[in-house]
Amino acid sequence: MSNHPFNPYWMIAITAISAPAYAQDYLNTQQAQQVLFPEAETFMPLLVKINEQQRDDIKAISGVRQRWDIQKVWKVVQKGQPIGWFVIDDVVGKHEFITYAIGLTVDGHVVGIEIMSYRETKGDQVRNADWRNQFKQKTIKDPFKLDQDIPNISGATLSCRNLTDGVKRILALQQVALNHAP
Amino acid sequence: MPSPRKHFMRTLIAASCISITAHADENLFGYIKGAETLPIGTLEFDQTLTYRADKDIGEYSAWDSKSEVEYGVTDRFTAAAYLKMQSINTSGIAIDAYIPGAEQYNLKPSGLEAELKYNFLSPAKDDFGLAGIVSISYDWLDKHSGLDKDQYSIETILAAQKYYLEGQMIWAGNLGMEATYAHRAPLSADRAASLPVDFDWPTHSEMEIELTAGTGITYRFIPNWFIGAEAQYQTEFETEVGTERWSLFAGPTLHYGGQDWWATVTWFQQLKGGGERYSGQTEDLHLVEKTKHELRLKFGIDF
Repeated sequence: MSNHPFNPYWMIAITAISAPAYAQDYLNTQQAQQVLFPEAETFMPLLVKINEQQRDDIKAISGVRQRWDIQKVWKVVQKGQPIGWFVIDDVVGKHEFITYAIGLTVDGHVVGIEIMSYRETKGDQVRNADWRNQFKQKTIKDPFKLDQDIPNISGATLSCRNLTDGVKRILALQQVALNHAP
Repeated sequence: MPSPRKHFMRTLIAASCISITAHADENLFGYIKGAETLPIGTLEFDQTLTYRADKDIGEYSAWDSKSEVEYGVTDRFTAAAYLKMQSINTSGIAIDAYIPGAEQYNLKPSGLEAELKYNFLSPAKDDFGLAGIVSISYDWLDKHSGLDKDQYSIETILAAQKYYLEGQMIWAGNLGMEATYAHRAPLSADRAASLPVDFDWPTHSEMEIELTAGTGITYRFIPNWFIGAEAQYQTEFETEVGTERWSLFAGPTLHYGGQDWWATVTWFQQLKGGGERYSGQTEDLHLVEKTKHELRLKFGIDF
């Protein structure tokens, strides 16, 4: 082996070198709240703790696993009346988590979604407004299936699928944990 | 002068129009193929280097290189072309019909390959991914001896892939069959004179069929990095001897996916093997065509 023109161990060194993770923050919490609920006067923060039974219920309703024990939620208030919910969530991308915000009306319709932080190396077409607008007015009764009621973006299929599943899961979370919140 | 809110909204809309279209058919494993294809119109360059070493006695090491250009014809259909190269360094070992003594040279072209891949089911959209791969190749150098040998092969692979934990853990499995027609060049007079008189070096045409089954699983343990394991069973049938060989390789694999490139390194150890053995072999493995271990590095660059 020592006479050979190549030494195999340089391969390991090459793969040990990694480029710094690619990350892009587009909106902070306040900016996302302004975009989704421009008419709101107050955002009341809630730290929603989800127990085992609620996780099972969310999975049963949405078909999607509730990964997190705690969900960041804000009750949205206008003129002293609740008008909806603002939720920040993370879903798995191809290489990293995608952080997004979702607005819901009190009767369970999607106001919209905003990509807050996209750390993925590819597929950030999910930030395009045309794609995100497909979620507006959807309810838990909608199918949330790629290429059925939500178009897939070529090259970003996993991001599309996990964001679509995430929105459906948050709608189920609203039914299970938010509608009875104080 | 627009208000701060309008300015913010305009910036947001402009930013949301920016998109990256490239996406890699990332190889998460060194040996096991996934079911995903390149998006339409995208181009990727992949390079695979495989180091094969140790046949129990003597010295044997070789590098196989495959340089690939891959193109997304449609979202489900990818076409690829390969240039194969190899180097070899062997001495102190002679195997009837396979290795007629010492040989050493640096990397040089050894073959060409064309491959078509069609994705029937997407692992992200359909929950279970399935692709069919067909490749044809022509090699003019024998990877075992390093000598001249014309080989024409056609290979079909069924590649399955499934996401677990929303894609944080990925499984892939392959079933493949390769048919090869091969014809060795005669040994040179000098080389033939250096070998025992009863050394066997058949120059008639051969037909071989190789069956492959493989599986791998990998987990994203930190952003961009996957760690996993893969295993591959191969067996080959030949017209004269029936089952010529079988082997089971397995080992760990490490993958990094970056913004414009990815890399995978896999260590493959022969755990079990059988079939033909050569005279003087001490290990209970298949070491006629295979080695005790392999190291494979792959990297891909998007365009």
